[in-house]
Amino acid sequence: MEQVTALFARIAGAGTLSPQLLLWLGALTMALIMALVMAACAIVFTWAERKVAGFIQSRYGPMRVGRWHGIAQPIADMLKILQKEDIIPADADRKFFILAPFVLFIGSLMAWAAIPFAPGFVAADLDMGLLYIFAASSLVTIGILMSGWASNNKWSLYGAARGAAQIVSYEIPLALAVVPVVLYAGSLNMTDIVVAQQGGIWKWFALRNPFLFVSFLIYFLASIAEVNRTPFDLPETESELVAGYHTEYSGMRFAFFFLAEYANLFLVSCIATAVFLGGWGHPVPGLNFAPALVFLAKAVLLVLAQIWIRWTLPRLRVDQLMHVCWKVMIPLALVCLAGSGVWMLAFVRFA
Amino acid sequence: MRQYFADIWHALMSTFQGMGITIKHVVKKPVTLQYPDERWVLPERFRGFVHLDTNRCNACLQCAKACPVSCIYIDTEGKGVDRYMTRYAVDFNKCIWCGLCNEPCPTNAITMSHDYDHALYFRQKLVYEFVSPERPIPTHKQKRAEMGFFVEEEEEDHG
Repeated sequence: MEQVTALFARIAGAGTLSPQLLLWLGALTMALIMALVMAACAIVFTWAERKVAGFIQSRYGPMRVGRWHGIAQPIADMLKILQKEDIIPADADRKFFILAPFVLFIGSLMAWAAIPFAPGFVAADLDMGLLYIFAASSLVTIGILMSGWASNNKWSLYGAARGAAQIVSYEIPLALAVVPVVLYAGSLNMTDIVVAQQGGIWKWFALRNPFLFVSFLIYFLASIAEVNRTPFDLPETESELVAGYHTEYSGMRFAFFFLAEYANLFLVSCIATAVFLGGWGHPVPGLNFAPALVFLAKAVLLVLAQIWIRWTLPRLRVDQLMHVCWKVMIPLALVCLAGSGVWMLAFVRFA
Repeated sequence: MRQYFADIWHALMSTFQGMGITIKHVVKKPVTLQYPDERWVLPERFRGFVHLDTNRCNACLQCAKACPVSCIYIDTEGKGVDRYMTRYAVDFNKCIWCGLCNEPCPTNAITMSHDYDHALYFRQKLVYEFVSPERPIPTHKQKRAEMGFFVEEEEEDHG
């Protein structure tokens, strides 16, 4: 952000733009970049998802559009979805129906602001970045509830109620799993957390001690539930609820849900990368180009793992879902928190 | 308590086991074919769309009689040497691909081809016309021989 504002200042000539205007310009540019990253990851991941689904089921997946292995399939899908009629049901609550996809989208876009992709490349280097990310991404719950209620459709409402219950529940293990990391890093600032993991693979928080590794697993599983994907896709179970909370949406409004879903998928992977897997750090000595690429590569691998799990496991029941969260993940996360604290006192010397 | 941890361990391990199974399929060759480019090798006696070799047919009507769903329409004009076949049509809306029309055919004119991808937008187009009324096919042996059509060898009576 500072670099962007500095760039604008240099282009315009020193002193010609007021600092406030520069700040706005910088913020707008970063927001635009983040929105583009979101759109790009939605495009890439829909294709990746369909390809992986195909391979796992011994099929090819999309092969036709764009000559090479259906690479242009998401673009074709996007063009098709743009042409679709925008339907608002007669009995829907118009205002909320229209607002809901944007709330959902903004919720995930906001959380992107504090992700450190590379040293210095972070839209807002907040001192409590981690807390901010979890706060911003829980806006998604409101978007889901809003869409489900406003659609005035029983499937949507079921999906929304399930989604709200699930996301609110799973935010607890999700947040508890990152607390040990905060304990180790001594900061909520995302950049500080990544910097604390530099210097070899054993510095990564997921590999610092066994408790942190279990925390990482808990975070990973809870994040799958957080983004409503199989085996925790109860809010949008195709076989039970048509499409859950976005059943009544079509055209661009549906596209926003889709975009937010894939952006969230990438977001939780980015958080996992920054918090547990050393961010832009990598074990190869001497290799020091494009830290952002290393970061993205790790995040993409995590997304692929999530896709892999999606096409492997069947869906949980609602009671099983709640059982896993409240009776397994939260106690384990608490044990890991205590365990990491003890480990730190016992084995780590304070600098 | 023991059961609790055993369950967690079991859940984790079965997840990894499942993921192991799915990753095996990723490296396997896909079982599906890229349909219009790659095609299944058909069995030799595959019963595809009925095909008529107009060069061999002499309008004996045996196929039409054999057809259990009456989907073969044959029109002829004239008598004796001047008998011509003006229409030979198969209605594939009705056809059940039983292959019974092939069996009585004395000249092997009607056969089951290996075509199967003839989806159409209009039902009416599924009535396949094999003979155009402008170019009727002679049916009498003498006329057929004159006009260069296939004539079946005289079958010897083996008593």
